[in-house]
Amino acid sequence: MKPTHSNAHWWLGVADLLAHGVQHGAVKLQRIHLSVADESFRVLEAIPATRHSSRIVRVCHHEISRLSYTGLSLAGRAAAGLAARAAAGHVRKHDLNVNNS
Amino acid sequence: MVSVPSAGRVQQHISAIASGFLGDWLEHRGNALAVPMTVFADGEPLDLLNPRPAAPGSVLCLSIHGLMELESVWDFPGQPGKHYGTGLAERLGDASALKLRFNSGRPIYRNGQDLAALLERLVSNWPVPVTRLVLIGHSMGGLLIRSACHYGAENDDSWVRLNPDCVYIGSPHDGSWLAVGAHKAAGWLNRVPRDYLKVVGEVIDLRSEGIRNLSRGEVFEPGTAHQPLLAGARHYVISGLLARGEEHLVNALFGDALVHEASARGARQPGWQLTGTANFPGVDHIRLAHHSAVARQLEEWLV
Repeated sequence: MKPTHSNAHWWLGVADLLAHGVQHGAVKLQRIHLSVADESFRVLEAIPATRHSSRIVRVCHHEISRLSYTGLSLAGRAAAGLAARAAAGHVRKHDLNVNNS
Repeated sequence: MVSVPSAGRVQQHISAIASGFLGDWLEHRGNALAVPMTVFADGEPLDLLNPRPAAPGSVLCLSIHGLMELESVWDFPGQPGKHYGTGLAERLGDASALKLRFNSGRPIYRNGQDLAALLERLVSNWPVPVTRLVLIGHSMGGLLIRSACHYGAENDDSWVRLNPDCVYIGSPHDGSWLAVGAHKAAGWLNRVPRDYLKVVGEVIDLRSEGIRNLSRGEVFEPGTAHQPLLAGARHYVISGLLARGEEHLVNALFGDALVHEASARGARQPGWQLTGTANFPGVDHIRLAHHSAVARQLEEWLV
């Protein structure tokens, strides 16, 4: 990598890092969310009066959560891809300018 | 008066911190936050193929920062541009004070290899013949010096034949308790049968190779046998302690905040012959990089 490019290149680097944070962070957050929720659902399932309804709520809760986090993760992945492509284009343009000057 | 850092300065600090945490990953992705290895003279980056500092001296004093730091860590408070290197250069005369900036998240041995190559280019292309080399490393910077000395000697680099003065300031030669703690915490959390705790362990495990190397002070490529200190060079160790009383419990627990005195002295390293050692109770890890008492000690040793 060249020592310095420009402010725009630096911000593209920040965008790349944040987008990756969202992509992978969403997956990790989903795991935390579902495993913490499972602790509560396990208690509810142990009680005969709430067992049946808690199973239904658990399935709905987990599916909605998975859908939300997957959507967020995919958005992060798309943003990371865009940032990486923009940064690569920026480097090519910079190198071309350096070679021509 | 409170000085407000410029936007560029803030960006450099963000880059240094991001590089410390995730430097190997950032470099792999070609991310602009990855800090490239650069030598500075009077605050300006040097072109290593054609270095043209304002007043090139025949003695080079290169200061190397630690994890997540910038070269500005060396500056005395309220005196930008004044640091151990400039003090030594003034006293030695015919000397140039240089600073290194590098991506502290990369494995230490890779930075050491690059530093060895950089020193070779710097000494070969320096405008006047270099007669003496003083390497001053803070924290991880000291480990980089040891690594560079090994690889420089392996490559038979000309700068190694100058028998450099190597100063290790608060360097965790036997590891840092915090890095060891992070390693153990991640290992424990990953074994717990609860997904939400495992995730915390996985997040800790995202830390860079550079940070991992600090848990045991690893400075050579994996699989390399233990290497002694560079023969012929002079090696000095400086350590700090949080509390003024040397026997204070806080010092026994935390050392200078990050590094214990024994680790800074390389107590577990076999066969070390140190030219000088000094301990500064009451001076913490970061202040070791810009403290007047340390500056006096360095002048006593090196001038």
